[in-house]
Amino acid sequence: MGVVRLSIGTRTLTPRTCLIVDDSRIIRKVARRIVEGLGFEVDEAADGSEALAFCGGVIPEVILLDWSMPVMDGLTFLRRLRALPGGLAPKVLFCTIETRAERIAEALSAGADDYVMKPFDGEILTSKFAEVGAV
Amino acid sequence: MTPDDFDRLQSLMSSRAGFRLTRDRMKLAEHRLGPVARREGFETVDAMLASLWARPVASLGWSVIEALLNPETWFRRDRASFDTLAGELLPALGKARGGQPVRAWVAGCSTGQEAWSLAIAAQEAGAAVEIVATDLSQRALEKARSGAYTGFEIQRGLKAQTMLRWFDQAEDAWIARAELRATVHFARANLLDPPADDHRFDIIFCRHVLVDADPARRGEMLDNLERRLVDDGCLFLGPDEQPGGDSIAFRPVAGRKGLFVKSPAALRRAA
Repeated sequence: MGVVRLSIGTRTLTPRTCLIVDDSRIIRKVARRIVEGLGFEVDEAADGSEALAFCGGVIPEVILLDWSMPVMDGLTFLRRLRALPGGLAPKVLFCTIETRAERIAEALSAGADDYVMKPFDGEILTSKFAEVGAV
Repeated sequence: MTPDDFDRLQSLMSSRAGFRLTRDRMKLAEHRLGPVARREGFETVDAMLASLWARPVASLGWSVIEALLNPETWFRRDRASFDTLAGELLPALGKARGGQPVRAWVAGCSTGQEAWSLAIAAQEAGAAVEIVATDLSQRALEKARSGAYTGFEIQRGLKAQTMLRWFDQAEDAWIARAELRATVHFARANLLDPPADDHRFDIIFCRHVLVDADPARRGEMLDNLERRLVDDGCLFLGPDEQPGGDSIAFRPVAGRKGLFVKSPAALRRAA
């Protein structure tokens, strides 16, 4: 696919970054493999507070965000992220098991750019990245 | 399935559907025909095929053909084409038609994602369209008409916001809203059949269909598409598809991958 070729071509010059926030190590591993395939450099966080600490240093270009996590959930993280200096810049994609329309709407109105319902696969994630203009 | 069975399937697919069943799809064919055999009350695929070869092609034959077509599709497949459509073509055509709805044909719509994508693009661009979406497969059309998609299907290509705007959630399915349904009409059609009336379209989407066509039947299909298209209309193929064959009906539009217009040689039906 064209988009994939393009991202690989620019990878060595400007590595784009993606933070994957999920309390499941397996989900992080699966998502990492897909996102790396799109040409991103990937970091991981296991909950919202870890992610927030990470974003205090360097803000990634894309954040893949689980909803329900221990310590700090995804929605709380998102609201705090958007209040940080530079916090409006990253594309945030919720990626969760929650599939009710009203919860999806809630996440979008809290500032998420898009929403991925689990289960997902590489094709879905790729198309979501394309739709938000991340690739 | 014997090699002889596969040869016969190949020629059945080519003669009836213009579809090129390549040899590497033998395993896939066997896999797809299992459920057809069960549904039709046969013990095995081999028994079904034996019965199929013994009689003229009827409903069983068409069930077999349907199962072997390539149904893959998703929402907004090749996003650039939909952006060209919504941003450039629909506004221009809407103006040229003086407020009359733009007529679009999705030829080979499979399970309907492309027809809905077109309907959404038009509505969001504020353009009036009438969409006819056709396929050879009755089963694919049933799903298309239902407008119901799983979570897996609905989010392949659609942003969550678009999904919430145009689909209602019911249990595990996402169902196209009435306002969307009002613009799309689904019907069965075979691209090998020449037009039987003079209804013509402003836009034809026939994407990722010719790529699977038997090269020997491609010219007929293109000719039939050309006859259904108004002289100043547009044809969308997949971004990497070419009309090919020996057809001179269409020429590519520079800078717009997958977009074609009639070549001067095809303007023979000008009023």
